Amino acid sequence: MFRPFEHIGRKNFLLMAGGQLLFALVAWQLSPGGLIPGPLRVLEALGQLLGSRLLIDNLLVSLLLTVKAMFYSILITLIFSYLSVVPFFAWTAKLLVRLRYLTLTGLIFIFTLLTKDGGALKLWLLVFGIVPFFTTSFLSVIARIPAQEYELCQTLGYSRWETLYEVIVVGKADQVFEIVRQNFSIAWMMITMVEGLCMGEGGIGTLLIKYNKYNDLPHVLALQVVVLGVGLFFDYLIGSLRRWLFPFIKK
Amino acid sequence: MTTYSKQDILLQAKGVCLSYGNKCILRDINFMIRDIVRPGLQQGQVVSLVGRSGIGKTQLFRVLSGLQKPSSGNIIIRERKPAETSGGVVQVWQERAVHTGDMGVIFQNYYQFTWRTVHQSLMLAARKNKLLAGREEEAIREYSFRFDIAEVLDHYPAQLSGGQQQRVSIIQQLLKGADFLLLDEPFSGLDVCVLDKVTELLLQVSLSDELKTLIIVSHDIATAAAISDTIFILGKEPGREGSTLVREIDLMERGLAWRADVRQERAFAEVLAEIKACL
Repeated sequence: MFRPFEHIGRKNFLLMAGGQLLFALVAWQLSPGGLIPGPLRVLEALGQLLGSRLLIDNLLVSLLLTVKAMFYSILITLIFSYLSVVPFFAWTAKLLVRLRYLTLTGLIFIFTLLTKDGGALKLWLLVFGIVPFFTTSFLSVIARIPAQEYELCQTLGYSRWETLYEVIVVGKADQVFEIVRQNFSIAWMMITMVEGLCMGEGGIGTLLIKYNKYNDLPHVLALQVVVLGVGLFFDYLIGSLRRWLFPFIKK
Repeated sequence: MTTYSKQDILLQAKGVCLSYGNKCILRDINFMIRDIVRPGLQQGQVVSLVGRSGIGKTQLFRVLSGLQKPSSGNIIIRERKPAETSGGVVQVWQERAVHTGDMGVIFQNYYQFTWRTVHQSLMLAARKNKLLAGREEEAIREYSFRFDIAEVLDHYPAQLSGGQQQRVSIIQQLLKGADFLLLDEPFSGLDVCVLDKVTELLLQVSLSDELKTLIIVSHDIATAAAISDTIFILGKEPGREGSTLVREIDLMERGLAWRADVRQERAFAEVLAEIKACL
């Protein structure tokens, strides 16, 4: 258990991880935290949130916005990534990749001028934040495609556009799901940030800011637990959907 | 001795050179493959291209397949095409430079798209064969029974054995309808039992059509020679850069072609020694 590269069974792994988690929670509860609430207080706050419509309403607002942003981001990413193998468009995809070094701070005012309302502002800020990461991931998938995949298409008499369709569009469709799964966390992390910019429509980010403003740490931490749980659920959901849609990946 | 005759030219390499920058890889490659006719038989051609590792066999393979353009020279293929004449439709020979897609190519590791089932992969090829238009399913069924893969049509490549993957690759290229089949190291990494099946399969393919021509690129001299009618040896000439064809061995002329027991022959052992001496 303490030796490098030692293989342990799933049951032992779960027991070990559960034990460590339990130990951390007990240590947290027993530690003199001062202002930091213990796990029982966080659990109590979570119970209150789950019992009210406040959480579910705000969660749905955030989820809807995330799903919309993901949809547009995937669409933009795929268009530019697929076209990245066409020399005329290659630089655009490369530029998108470089844009991930930009920070949204300072650009928010420009986005405010370009969008018609708060909802659109949040949506396009998210899209702007997500697309460079999606594009980076997908371009690396395209770069790793072995020459043999293109060559098999060529030897079968496929044109260049048919080769692009077969090898990149069809052949890497499962990778799109994997990228969405891996990058969903970025979108989900950003949602709390952009929701703070326009609080009128609510959302889990708005709720977090409100509780944070009044130093209601039990509720803040309870919301963090919800954010983490929803993130993990989507991670599992997208992974399962990928395995179901593309059975060859588990063969 | 078996009666045979060499008829029309099917493929010709004319002064093929390949260089990367200042480095010459292939130099002045010239050879031709003719239609071998055996009375009462549908006999295709099996040509082997042998040479040491790193001599440029794969580069020549890529040039022959059209995947790589030579720096100079070209590969000419000749095909029989129907042509309208006053006396009706007759078959005439047409020649042109090889393009990617003209030849069936079977890669060393029998690569197939991992995201396609066997049936889908075969359909991708069949749809490109105009002669099969409207009866692609029928052709896939026929080949899959003939090559014993009917039970794995709905499997993905990762679920196939090495032998099945190889058969799928061969059928895919046969469905495409090309007369020429290029095989890159088809005997590499196979155990003795599978090796026998593979050679048997290749001979079966070569007998499927008069114009079917198999070009095998291999460093397994004995296996390649045992199933070939002609061997081209790729090697280096002293003091000259780049590889070229240093010898052509006509196994038909020596009575060593199309014989199942050829490995037992003393003359065959002498041919192997002759090839080794050229490498």
